[in-house]
Amino acid sequence: MTTPLRTVRRTLVLLLLVWFALPLAPLVLWASSDTWRGASPLPQEWGVQAFTASLGDGVTSALLGSLAIGVVVAALATPAGAMAARALRLGTLKRPRLVASLLLAPVALPPFAVVMGLDVVLLRLHVPAALGVVLVLTVAALPYTTYLMRAAYVAYDFDYEDEARTLGASDLAIWWRVRLPLLAPGIAGATFLAFLVGWSDYIVTLLVGGGRLVTLPILIASTASGTGSEPRVAALSIAALAPPTVALALAALLRHRLLSARPHTTGKPKAPSPVHAVTLPRGAT
Amino acid sequence: MDRRGAVLVAPAVVAVLFVLGAGLGSAVLQSVGLIPLVGDPALQFTGYVGEREVLAAVGLSLLIASASTSVAALVGLSTALLLVGSGRGRRMLAALVTASIPVPHLVGAASVGLLLSDSGLMSRWLGVPAQAWPSLVAGAWPTAVIFEYAWKESAFVALVVSASLASRLPDYQETAALLGARPWARFRHVALPLATPALLAASAIAFVYTLGSYEVAWLLGAAYPEPLPVLSYRLFTSTDLTARPDAMAVAVMTTVIAGSVALTALALLRRTAAWR
Amino acid sequence: MRRVASLTAGIVLVSACAAPISGSSEETSDSWPEIRSKARGQTVSLWMWGGDPQGNAYVDDVLAPAARQAGVTLRRVPVADTKEALNRVLAEKQAGRSDGEVDLVWVNGDNFATGVQADAWRCGWSSALPNMRFTDPDDPLLTEDFGMQVDGCESPWHKAQFTLVYDSARITDPPGTMSEVLDWIEANPGRFTYPAPPDFTGSVFVRQLLYTVSGGHENVPATFDQETFDELTPALWQRLRDLAPSLWRNGRTYPRDSVALDRLFAEGQLDMTMTYGPATLTELVEEGTFPPSTRVLPLEEGTVGNASFLAIPATSADHAGAMLVANLALSPTQQRIKADPRVWGQFTVLDESRLSGRDKADFDRLPDSPVVPSYTVLARHANPELASAWVPALDEGWRRDVLAEVQ
Repeated sequence: MTTPLRTVRRTLVLLLLVWFALPLAPLVLWASSDTWRGASPLPQEWGVQAFTASLGDGVTSALLGSLAIGVVVAALATPAGAMAARALRLGTLKRPRLVASLLLAPVALPPFAVVMGLDVVLLRLHVPAALGVVLVLTVAALPYTTYLMRAAYVAYDFDYEDEARTLGASDLAIWWRVRLPLLAPGIAGATFLAFLVGWSDYIVTLLVGGGRLVTLPILIASTASGTGSEPRVAALSIAALAPPTVALALAALLRHRLLSARPHTTGKPKAPSPVHAVTLPRGAT
Repeated sequence: MDRRGAVLVAPAVVAVLFVLGAGLGSAVLQSVGLIPLVGDPALQFTGYVGEREVLAAVGLSLLIASASTSVAALVGLSTALLLVGSGRGRRMLAALVTASIPVPHLVGAASVGLLLSDSGLMSRWLGVPAQAWPSLVAGAWPTAVIFEYAWKESAFVALVVSASLASRLPDYQETAALLGARPWARFRHVALPLATPALLAASAIAFVYTLGSYEVAWLLGAAYPEPLPVLSYRLFTSTDLTARPDAMAVAVMTTVIAGSVALTALALLRRTAAWR
Repeated sequence: MRRVASLTAGIVLVSACAAPISGSSEETSDSWPEIRSKARGQTVSLWMWGGDPQGNAYVDDVLAPAARQAGVTLRRVPVADTKEALNRVLAEKQAGRSDGEVDLVWVNGDNFATGVQADAWRCGWSSALPNMRFTDPDDPLLTEDFGMQVDGCESPWHKAQFTLVYDSARITDPPGTMSEVLDWIEANPGRFTYPAPPDFTGSVFVRQLLYTVSGGHENVPATFDQETFDELTPALWQRLRDLAPSLWRNGRTYPRDSVALDRLFAEGQLDMTMTYGPATLTELVEEGTFPPSTRVLPLEEGTVGNASFLAIPATSADHAGAMLVANLALSPTQQRIKADPRVWGQFTVLDESRLSGRDKADFDRLPDSPVVPSYTVLARHANPELASAWVPALDEGWRRDVLAEVQ
């Protein structure tokens, strides 16, 4: 890479680092401040009082609650979205455009409008609160999972599946050895986004769930509605950020490990071909 | 063949139909006064008759959504390209993007408020007195609102685009470089086309979401004018329950606008050859 | 696909179309011992505003254990705004459920009125509480909530007074009446503002100003009628418009809520702030959010005051337990603990002349807050609140005739 290009690249990286870090800075600073009076640039006293106070606020049970919802929503929305994306990509649906629009539609609805109308219907039908919450949140997550998987399927070459099938691999082997590894980045992203929809939801958990479960967003929103709450809200927010960040970091590490273990190719650009690992000895291409 | 496709989409479609149908249906019925909380059902269209407030709200909503999505698309694309490539600072950048995505908009807005307000961190660190600091928060232009949405959506765009590019871009770029393409040509003819479908999809989702979300403008925006979701929310939480139909009417209007944008985006997406 | 769509539509229409089930709450005719035994083993979900950590700690660490001793499990559900609790209750009402998730709500005037508008509250129960005997039956703050007859639909919990707060280090010669405050604002531009109605605090400030502009609260009838509104409000809007250029940001925008206003005060951008819940001031000064020179500004003509209550929704399943908790919260012991500034500092609703000698002595022994004067001082010449119908009218009028006009 030429030097001026390298400088441009480095400046860009620096600018982007600042861009992403700036809005996070107040959170980190307020969470680590014991006393921050008036308008001084930095806290007068640093400390972890905000974190210890949040323990008393019930942050651990809220964390577990949010985790539960996030995991369930991810477990439901990712396969549903992946299957829908596959069907759309296969091109065999009767009304693909209608289905595609339908699956994108939940993003267009203002949440509280939906919830107020939906709440009454769910209550009339005597749908249990937990089921109602999971249903609504899964639907809210579907646009993200469907579209992320559709983007992943754009790069997906169905030839690999066909090749594996002609070589005698079973459906399960194809799914486990061909489809999953090739779609792994997309699946990881979709799972993460679906998890986030459940993890950071407020209005549905409160209204449809009937306040049975007090999750992190509920705790954060109610704490933030009072004066002088900045340290506690910051500490709770960092507690809310930590698990997804760690999960994504782990997933990225895993993906990096998987991708770097691919065989080298020359000439024609090709995605890694795990099918070779399934049925043929290395280097037989 | 067709059967299999239908079975694959069935769970998603049924769930969406139920939730959307019940939610939107109730919203529409409430907006025309057929399911009132108080009083008898009576068809009314007062919520839909144009008022000065609603027109200003539509304009502001579109401004915020388009400005923040454009910035997010630009920043997100650059970030994705840097993340997929190799080089220094990549891991740090990935960590920050990762940390930005799980931030709920409520928290993000509070944080940006603490950062950009008259006596916020930026003004304190730059040594500018509060009176001299430009009105970024709750000012005549929704600067802080746009910044917060742009920041969060850029992380989202970066995630989506980098996920779609990760497995293919390095190889294609390598080949293009071997064949003698210069960096700009590599960008224009390799990276950009590969990234476009994911970029368009992510931007469309970001735009539509921004149109319908109220927390950020509620916390960081001026009291007047207010974007559609804030107007709807304010009417919705009014002490006078007879304002509910008006709130629902604004919400339905928001949905219609957001829906049209989503459909347009889908039409555009279909044009890009790689997306079928 | 089409069949699924029409089936879904059918379900939706059938479930959503019926008008909400009207009709209140059966009057409870159980005796107190019967209620007490019914309450045993119940779990009561108290939905209350969670922005005050002292209040949260009081409910979790004092009230809940006391309830547990009576066999009731008290669960606190924190909400950012009481309207969210109301939304849940309204949805349950519309769905005709009687096993609701909301058992007890900490309400204030306008939320109570909204609930009454929708027939959402259980009524006729609070007069049956044994501890009501310690309250003054003629106390207007307890018999009427924002002009609406309480009618046994809610039981009192705290008293509150609208208070202006100032920084004594910056204002060495504080104004004594509201008119003097307005003069001070115009002499010190950019150092004062108020939250935009319909925020609760901003709304009461506008009501307080209506009293000032009309020459005193006696000149404003408590009940709402359009004629009086049209007669009195033009002067109010004109005053606020004239005031705007001297406000923060030239009055073109206003803080979204009292939290935003307090933040401006804490950062030193404003010299005054305001609150309808002065109990929080002690802790805010103590923890360093507000400067140590923060003081309450007493007004000679007095300010608006009210009481806040605990209400039981008509859809509640555990209403016996809820009544028990409400009674417990009204007991002299609990009221005294709650009034201690080190615990919560909320003013009591009890009539001291009806307390036993020992209880009265305990109340007298309560420490004073360094920031907030005692209730007798604060509530001197207290103004009554207007009927709740005034509230949306004034809020809407402010947006239309002040906010939109000063752009």
